[in-house]
Amino acid sequence: MPDQPTLSAETTPQLSRRSFLKTGVGGALFLGTVSMTAGLSGCSTAPAGRISAVESRMNASYQFQFLSTDDIALFEALLPALFAGALPEAPNKRQFEIAATIERIDQGIVQFGAPNQKELRKLFDLLNFAPTRIALARVWSDWPSVTTKEADAFLNRWRTSRLGLLNNGYIALSKIANVAFYGHQNQWHLTGYPGPPAWMVDALPQFKNA
Amino acid sequence: MSMNDPIARGLASGWNVVDASKLTENQTVEADVVVIGTGAGGGTTAEILSKQGFSVILVEEGGLYYQKDFKMDEQTAYATLYQEGMSRTTADGAISILQGRCVGGSTTVNWTSSFRTPEQTLNYWRETFGLEGLAPDVMAPWFDGREERHTMAPWLTPPNQNNSILRDGCEALGYSWQTIPRNVNGCWNSGYCGVGCPTNAKQGALMTTIPGALDNQAQMFHGLRAERLVMKQDRIDHLQATAMGPDGVTPSGVTVTLKANHFVVAASAIGSPGLLLRSDLPDPHNRVGKRSFIHPVSATVARMPAKVEPFYGAPQSIYSDEFNFKNGHDGPIGYKLEVPPLHPGMAAGVVPGHGQLQRDNLGQLPWLQSVIALLRDGFHPESPGGTVSLRDDGSPVLDYPITDYLWDGIRQSYLDMAEIQFAAGAEAVQAIHMDSAWYTSWKEAKAAINELPMRPHRARIFTAHQMGGCGMGSNPEESVVNGFGEHHHVANLSVHDASIFPTSIGANPQLSVYALAARNSVRLAQKLAAKS
Repeated sequence: MPDQPTLSAETTPQLSRRSFLKTGVGGALFLGTVSMTAGLSGCSTAPAGRISAVESRMNASYQFQFLSTDDIALFEALLPALFAGALPEAPNKRQFEIAATIERIDQGIVQFGAPNQKELRKLFDLLNFAPTRIALARVWSDWPSVTTKEADAFLNRWRTSRLGLLNNGYIALSKIANVAFYGHQNQWHLTGYPGPPAWMVDALPQFKNA
Repeated sequence: MSMNDPIARGLASGWNVVDASKLTENQTVEADVVVIGTGAGGGTTAEILSKQGFSVILVEEGGLYYQKDFKMDEQTAYATLYQEGMSRTTADGAISILQGRCVGGSTTVNWTSSFRTPEQTLNYWRETFGLEGLAPDVMAPWFDGREERHTMAPWLTPPNQNNSILRDGCEALGYSWQTIPRNVNGCWNSGYCGVGCPTNAKQGALMTTIPGALDNQAQMFHGLRAERLVMKQDRIDHLQATAMGPDGVTPSGVTVTLKANHFVVAASAIGSPGLLLRSDLPDPHNRVGKRSFIHPVSATVARMPAKVEPFYGAPQSIYSDEFNFKNGHDGPIGYKLEVPPLHPGMAAGVVPGHGQLQRDNLGQLPWLQSVIALLRDGFHPESPGGTVSLRDDGSPVLDYPITDYLWDGIRQSYLDMAEIQFAAGAEAVQAIHMDSAWYTSWKEAKAAINELPMRPHRARIFTAHQMGGCGMGSNPEESVVNGFGEHHHVANLSVHDASIFPTSIGANPQLSVYALAARNSVRLAQKLAAKS
């Protein structure tokens, strides 16, 4: 739920003046070009698969089916800003929740189906490909070097932009991450949701083992 | 798993149900009738035809999920039971589309509200689209029959606090409100309708017509995508279908060819026009996919002084039609007011935001109450609906431009909903709009809402009701099917779902789909019997 907006204050002026970047067909064509260029210039767009315990900062049993190593780095930079005040403070717990949320994001995207996966691939490529990351997100360094404050500023720029395409990018990023985070049992306490009533869990056959 | 579950029991008793993801070889199967889709329309059709002795094959792209899978968990449910893993939106991403993708379709995940098609809507259809056979008195017996089949009745249990607030606010302002009829039998009043009923109380297609059809020797394929209806001369010869792989969304490469004398499409208002377009069926007046309606939904959220616990209790039990038909068809758009349940994942997903502010807002979930307005689109020239078309890969997508006429209605709905919530004692109210703050008085809210920018991606708009796209009418130049759901140009093709509605309904559409599908299936059975 947003606070008071500062409409367009943060929007890249030279971009606002151009008319090529619009939602709809123009936006889709533009993102498509970015995505292709990103792939050609060495951005990692292949699913990360199983990554090592060191890289994943947790157990290495999860097999990524959609997110690339670059996408994982992107979410590692964004999640501390997306969930400021909600992630645990203790470093181990914090790392675990970030890694687990990214795995659930990956699982969720698998169910989105091919057409939406294609759109997300374009969005992630735009954010991972340095020229567009700088031009559209105004994020100057690679995601692993981006501070939480910088990530938060980026999210706010896209949230309050006059460009529908950027608003849409913000909504896509926050929606996917929010459902994966707040929808999970580990975070229910943050919302005051007690979970399914215990008396139902006790009474229903689907919760009984075997 | 307990054998008290009708699906588990039926499967054990030898129902002819095929999980297409397990198929390893292409195959061809024949029946009298192939029904595409297992929701409100498809289930009804399959049960009626199979009880009449016709051999029926049901085709469902989603999976078969039932009690063993319904564990009151949002993340699993959204991923498995909803279209595109709950990520479906309109073409520009501005409207979120909540739609079922599983055996039972949206009836497996809906909130059980069961309204007859309003008389004003049926009368408008008669006057505007020549649908004489759908007059309220003609339709009444069909509504009676379906209300009985699906155990629909006004909810007698006291409403949960979430719904009580809509009632109290309407009372305080002198607005009309009423109790919602629900299709439940032995409901535990838990609040988990949207993630698959954990107690089998919901009498959607999954608990009624699907078992009814399978008990009568119907065959069902699930995890099977209807790819293309293939014509031979002037009739449909077969349906080409593709099996989904183990993940439920990626085709495995195995194909199934389904041959029949008659084909009934009931794949929803996005899926059905999509299938007809992919099949390149005769459409001389270019009507397929046009006039697609969604009941655009706006919402406000209130922070109440006492706990609401909007995640527990029958999700919808009170509604208000105060604003639905008051302006007639020529005036500003009307809307039905209802209440949505709020669980943490849904609340965090439909209200995009981030950081400490989002965390603080969500932290108040037990005290939050929300009202939604379902805008009655399609009745006014400035509400022509959207268009379903095909993406490059053949999948259907809905483009739905929001006209100024609709924006005016959305703004007015924010105002009415906020006023009601303040009248019910809200401490603060926020429009579900990217630029809305929390307003702490009706006066402040009124002034601020009047200044909110009404633009895509700023106002958050949703839909859970897709209608139209294969509209019915007496004039083939303006419609796809006639008043019995029979295709104007293909003799052995019918459409039995919400895609045939020529406008939106002005109420949650499941009973409208059940009733029309029942009426049209009885007619179809008579015609098929006469031919054989």
